[in-house]
Amino acid sequence: MDNKLKKALSIAAAGALTLSLAACGNNDNSSKNGGDAAASPSSSASSAPSASASSGEKVTLTFQNIYVDPNTPTYKTAHQIVDQYQKDHPNIKIEFDSLNTDQQKQKLKTQANAKEIPDITMVNPAAQMKPFVDANLFVPLNDVVEKNGLKDTYQSGLLDYYSFNGNVYALPDGNNIEVVYYNKDLFAQAGISNPPATFDELLADVKALKEKGIIPMAIGEKDTWTGSFIFMNILLRTNGGPGFLKDVVDGKKTFEDPAFVDAVSKFQDLIQAGAFEEGATSLDVDTGRSLFTSGKAAMYMLGSWETGTIDASEVGPKVAAFQFPTVGGKGDPNQFMLAPGTAFAIAANSKHIEEAKDFLNYFTLNFPKVQFELKNAVGLPQKVDGDMKAAGYSDLAISVADLFGKVNGGDISFDNTMNPAVSQVHLNSLQNMFVQKVDPAQVAKEHQAAYEANKDQ
Amino acid sequence: MSSFAFRLPEATEATTLNVLKVSKTAIGIFILPALILYVGIVFVPILVSFYTGMLNWNGIGESKFVGFENYKDILFNDNLFWPAARRTLLYAVASMIEIPFCLMMAVLLNRYVRKANTLVSIYFTPVILSVVVIGQLWKTIYNPTSMGGMLNQFLINIGLDSWTHTWLSETNIAIYCIYFVSLWQYFGYHLLIQFTGVQNIPNEIYEAAKIDGADGFKADRYITLPMIVPIFKISIVLAFIGSLQSFDMIWVMTGGGPAHATDTIATYMYTSSFLSQKFGYGSALASLLVVLCLVITVVINTVLNKVDKKFS
Repeated sequence: MDNKLKKALSIAAAGALTLSLAACGNNDNSSKNGGDAAASPSSSASSAPSASASSGEKVTLTFQNIYVDPNTPTYKTAHQIVDQYQKDHPNIKIEFDSLNTDQQKQKLKTQANAKEIPDITMVNPAAQMKPFVDANLFVPLNDVVEKNGLKDTYQSGLLDYYSFNGNVYALPDGNNIEVVYYNKDLFAQAGISNPPATFDELLADVKALKEKGIIPMAIGEKDTWTGSFIFMNILLRTNGGPGFLKDVVDGKKTFEDPAFVDAVSKFQDLIQAGAFEEGATSLDVDTGRSLFTSGKAAMYMLGSWETGTIDASEVGPKVAAFQFPTVGGKGDPNQFMLAPGTAFAIAANSKHIEEAKDFLNYFTLNFPKVQFELKNAVGLPQKVDGDMKAAGYSDLAISVADLFGKVNGGDISFDNTMNPAVSQVHLNSLQNMFVQKVDPAQVAKEHQAAYEANKDQ
Repeated sequence: MSSFAFRLPEATEATTLNVLKVSKTAIGIFILPALILYVGIVFVPILVSFYTGMLNWNGIGESKFVGFENYKDILFNDNLFWPAARRTLLYAVASMIEIPFCLMMAVLLNRYVRKANTLVSIYFTPVILSVVVIGQLWKTIYNPTSMGGMLNQFLINIGLDSWTHTWLSETNIAIYCIYFVSLWQYFGYHLLIQFTGVQNIPNEIYEAAKIDGADGFKADRYITLPMIVPIFKISIVLAFIGSLQSFDMIWVMTGGGPAHATDTIATYMYTSSFLSQKFGYGSALASLLVVLCLVITVVINTVLNKVDKKFS
């Protein structure tokens, strides 16, 4: 009896082992695929016989994206292009895997862990995508951008944020700048005639608005990056130009540099002046925006991607946008916080890399055209021909598009420059400034300590 | 688990009933699926996370083995861990203190309220609602006055203007506001458990005691309390483990902020692994949480077993 039991157990154990071995084997295969597109059909042939690149066979591509809301133009654009592509290529089926931005980030990380990234996925630029590139999880897209002149459609320099070691690894869906939206009616109520041109004027306007019982500036600081985005614009000014964080990385400056300390103390001035609504740290970005779009707050400072939503809201016709002012006489208002968008990348573990590349080329070529038709041309990564006025764009959209024309360089956000560990410390220490007064020098010291502790991550 | 199962046939062999005589092989086969599943989805991941806790790893690329470095950092150098641990434990204690109140309520309901079942069901409703719904609901209650927060509005209406707060944005009170919501939500849950326990005590015992002169409070002290101890124990352990892992409510309401003021071990673990992308560090935190759970569960069990013995 005991013998039989032992036998049964050992058979089961052997079974379990084989299973786990098989799983390991799979992992091995896909990791070898990394970075080597040509090897993929042969090495995955054992697990999927239909992996050949020939065009006649049925191929399913998974397209992971962040376009979840059917009411948004981007969602419509993506679906319209994909439908057309599937019509032209009956053998290709494209499956949408649409998730919220944050969920998509988590899912992708988990999938990257198991080397099971969907054929086409989306990543954030620069520092945020670097770990993926370093781990050889994406294929270079140089041949994709060369095909059909795609490369020349992108704004100059934009692809640099997605390039590593001379290879492009992802193609952005947008390129935005940070602007300050303001409600002209509320400004008039507080007796303000012109948008502020200096930081002191901004503080004075905050005071005037507050006296009228209007929330000067709406923010959703539960999502900590919103505060950081404003702070970084101040830093861009106090530093007298872009590149502060790069200098830190290059060892030319530290966070205890006067420019950084000054930016912290200016940001503190803004908070202490009561610029933001009370309880800001418990409101998420959507609630923050709704304070502005419902006409309770006079200003709202975020990326130009907000233009469409604000346009569609009840305050839309009353809103205009201005450039962030100079701080203490320093900085150039034509330098903006830049937000190169989330970008499409192709997984190295995909079984259909060639098909995915062909699709991505088609998709990105048509993306700006369809976006323009659907009135979503503000913040496109690519140049697009067309008269916005004639196409029926709103004054706000045209004025934001004009600001794009003024862009003379700038910085990208903190968490796109620094590694995630340092970014978290930064984001939390700024959130802390919303709930208590801090010593700017101490904040700078914390940043420097966090940077040094996580340098090699 | 297994020792109990394998003893079963011997027990039946001793009796004359050989209907239940089952070969050990058969028992083995029947246990195996559950055992493999249990080991596979509980023990193996725990061991794996102990191991990843020893890595310096961003979750995607190369990892570096650093031994107990992460564990040491957490325990001795991390000025966020201990406050988070304190908050977690405080929450656990608070939710344990809630149980006696639930028991008291259950006894009262059982004695004085006819059709108490309806009431218990009503108290139970918050448990059915999703944590996200509850969190959003209470967030609007806690909203600052300028956004029409119900609690502040209420305080103003009864003339207590000075008591108003931006509840979830003040570092020293935010966490208590969240505790309160959690306790409120799980009150009905533990009440239901205790109520069922109280109802299951046979009425004859109370009747016999009545003849002997034990009534009302005395009957509760000498009959209800000793007989409810096993049920009480279940509630305590459930409340404790549940609160050690508290994550969802906090995430919905404050996301651990402002500036870590409402972080618990679980939210801190999530932030470390997924936002800071320090998977090794996060795994080490997770492992410490497991150890904490195990140690405290053992402690609670020993204490309650003693209580159990004392009463019976």
